[in-house]
Amino acid sequence: MRKFAKAGSYLLLGIISLISLTPFYFMVVMSTYKTEDIFKGLPLLPSDYIAENIKTVFASNFIQTYGNSLFISAMSMLVCVLVSAMVGYAMTVYQFRFKNLLKSFIMLTMMAPTQIGIIGYMIEMRTMHLTGTLWPMIFLWFANGFGAFWMIQFIGTALPTEIVESARIDGAGEIRIFSQMVFPCIKPGILTLCLLIFLWSWNSYLVPLVFVNTEKLNTIPIFIKGLANAYRTDYGAQLTGLVFATVPLLLMFIIGSKNFITGLTAGAVKG
Amino acid sequence: MTRKGNKKYRIFWPLFFVAPFIIFFFTFNLFPILYSLRLSFYDWSGVGEKVFVGLDNYIRIFTKDATFLKSLGNTLYIMLLGFPLSIFLGLVIAAFLSNLKKFRNLFQTLNFLPYITTPVAIGLIFTFLFDWNTGIINRVITFFGGEGINWLGNARFAPMVIGFMIIWKCTGYYMALYLSGITSISSDIYEAAKVDGAGTVRTFFSITVPLLKPITIFIIFTSLIYALQLFDEPNLMFNVSTTSIIGGPDRSCLTMVWNFYDVAFGSTARLGYGSAVSSTLFIIIIVASLIGMKIMNKKEEN
Repeated sequence: MRKFAKAGSYLLLGIISLISLTPFYFMVVMSTYKTEDIFKGLPLLPSDYIAENIKTVFASNFIQTYGNSLFISAMSMLVCVLVSAMVGYAMTVYQFRFKNLLKSFIMLTMMAPTQIGIIGYMIEMRTMHLTGTLWPMIFLWFANGFGAFWMIQFIGTALPTEIVESARIDGAGEIRIFSQMVFPCIKPGILTLCLLIFLWSWNSYLVPLVFVNTEKLNTIPIFIKGLANAYRTDYGAQLTGLVFATVPLLLMFIIGSKNFITGLTAGAVKG
Repeated sequence: MTRKGNKKYRIFWPLFFVAPFIIFFFTFNLFPILYSLRLSFYDWSGVGEKVFVGLDNYIRIFTKDATFLKSLGNTLYIMLLGFPLSIFLGLVIAAFLSNLKKFRNLFQTLNFLPYITTPVAIGLIFTFLFDWNTGIINRVITFFGGEGINWLGNARFAPMVIGFMIIWKCTGYYMALYLSGITSISSDIYEAAKVDGAGTVRTFFSITVPLLKPITIFIIFTSLIYALQLFDEPNLMFNVSTTSIIGGPDRSCLTMVWNFYDVAFGSTARLGYGSAVSSTLFIIIIVASLIGMKIMNKKEEN
């Protein structure tokens, strides 16, 4: 009976995983088809048009688009994680006035979606003469409510404050303590947040929709959407572009997943 | 500790570490929201003179703008279609699978993938899957003798497709969260329940569900925020350049944020009115979150 239940559980899990993966499978398979052929039959097996589709994708400014997205995500990630870790450190190590107020404030910022202020943000960027650059898509990530909240939670539980105390007695300065002693202690939390911010900024769609006004500012989501309108809808090429845009990230995630899932769920469980 | 040192650790260093966040937040997040709030009392297309109109924009939202109210209803409807079932499935599957040891990490990783995939990709893939003539879903239906459904062209079915998308995207993520919660529950509790003669179903409802409450709260909270901001996937599924009407069939998939985007940056730029719409959304989201938080806290106390 027990064995039977176990087999049933595995079967169920297998089916659910299959449902999770099916769309990816079709994405990859359909990317090997010529657009006209995608809709002729059920595209279960790969075709032989992938080389042509790749050519179409790379004939446009795909490489620059990729570079843009990488730059945006890397910059957003670096600054956001550093800024968040600093807040988390301050909240754990120091006692200061308005500390509780600041914490409630950060909770509130988590709820307020940044898109809501995008009209004001656009005008602000225009006044600063930054439209036409990639920076408007980066600045928005610098102070991220979730990131700060995340690091407060994580550092609060992962960092023994005695380490800081004894380092101070040994005469280490605060910046040195933070960068050389605390950072290594909170590595899993840092890695998880890095991955999250990278993914979110990579996937971001609405903000680039407002700020990308020339091809040279394209980000991946905008580029893929644009493939639909360029000449005719070239689904084959669009899907090939999608494969290039998503598969590396998915692989990166799978490699780092052990750290990531435990980190993320730990954060959620602590709430 | 000396007085001087005390001051250093109470004022200078906290400020030093907190300052970047505060400065960036005010410059790039809060200031734009406040500026939008100010703009919401003006009529402005982005160039030329701003005309002060007082509360006119807000009055128009609630009395003349049927689209705004419709987008509000759509968002709530899509939210109800997708999230409750997704959360329920995530919980049940997690409970069902908690006794498995082998391959658990692998399954967890695989089911996480939909959650981290670019919404653009999801939107596109679902458009293909649910296409009326050529979509794989309809082919499967006709294969089994049924009649293909015009999923994306019918106002009754289009929001359902978004609901399916939410379920597909979030269930694996919720399952992963619940699974880690269940494994953190001490096995002693389950042993005790067994000794007391509680059955599997009883154990699930009296032990597993209550103990997982912090996770449920986290999930409901994050999915509420996600739902209220829904934009990417519907926009990609239903933004067909051949029709001038946005929001899918009968605007049934026009979400609040999509409506806001269209008002502000669509065919005619109405930045003043758009700001009023965004400020209203802002208030709705904050109030909803606060009420949600209050209810959860109250329940926790009981």
